[in-house]
Amino acid sequence: MGFIEENEKDRKSFVHKWAEYVRTHSDKDWSRQQNVIINSALKSANMTREQFFKMKGETNYEKY
Amino acid sequence: MKFINKKTIEIDRELSELDIFTIDFIKILEKYTKYVLVSGYVSILLGRARISEDVDVIIQKIDFSTFQALYKELKKNGFYCLNAKKDSSIYKYLLDNLRVRFAKKDKTIPNIELKWVKHKFDEISLENNIEVKLSKEKLKISNLELQIAFKEEVLKSPKDLDDAMHIKNVAKGYLDNKLIQKYREMLHGFY
Repeated sequence: MGFIEENEKDRKSFVHKWAEYVRTHSDKDWSRQQNVIINSALKSANMTREQFFKMKGETNYEKY
Repeated sequence: MKFINKKTIEIDRELSELDIFTIDFIKILEKYTKYVLVSGYVSILLGRARISEDVDVIIQKIDFSTFQALYKELKKNGFYCLNAKKDSSIYKYLLDNLRVRFAKKDKTIPNIELKWVKHKFDEISLENNIEVKLSKEKLKISNLELQIAFKEEVLKSPKDLDDAMHIKNVAKGYLDNKLIQKYREMLHGFY
């Protein structure tokens, strides 16, 4: 199995395992762990408007 | 997470910064028009362990004066539009069926990606929505069967396929698999 296939297999396995965790644990439990990922990612997110639109491939914005 | 019926899900979750941002925006938006949350944020709200820089929202079309009032209240509450400053310019984007984005002042992420209803699948999302009851808040999300079908049949990126897989797993026993298949066939002919 090549690197890409192995990576995809691992990713899918994690998605299944995490969904099972969500199903079998309290909402407070899984959300507390999920929030660590979300809140830390948002904290470090830092982009200008121009950078953001470029990343999205969108051109419908005014330069100001 | 409790799947109460086809119209209601209860989640007793701790709110993330993304949830709080979304709720702040929706509390203003819902005073002016019907809305539904779609795409990545739906799977995140249902527990998917990933981040999204934007939250997709479909709204019913509104006239310019209603939009002006909405935009005024958004600005008063610390939001700005990333696309343009003037209300007439932002409204023009919506008229052209383009999406517009709103974030909190001095930030670009997270942002709300707002578009208005464009075709029958947007209509289905808007009309057949599900109310997600959080501890003290409520949000309307799209019909899950349509979300899964759209991600599997139209979007198809690894991220979207994983979102669909997550929703299928956490909502096992709640989903109507025949409806997912029906939406997939409809979408296949549409896109």
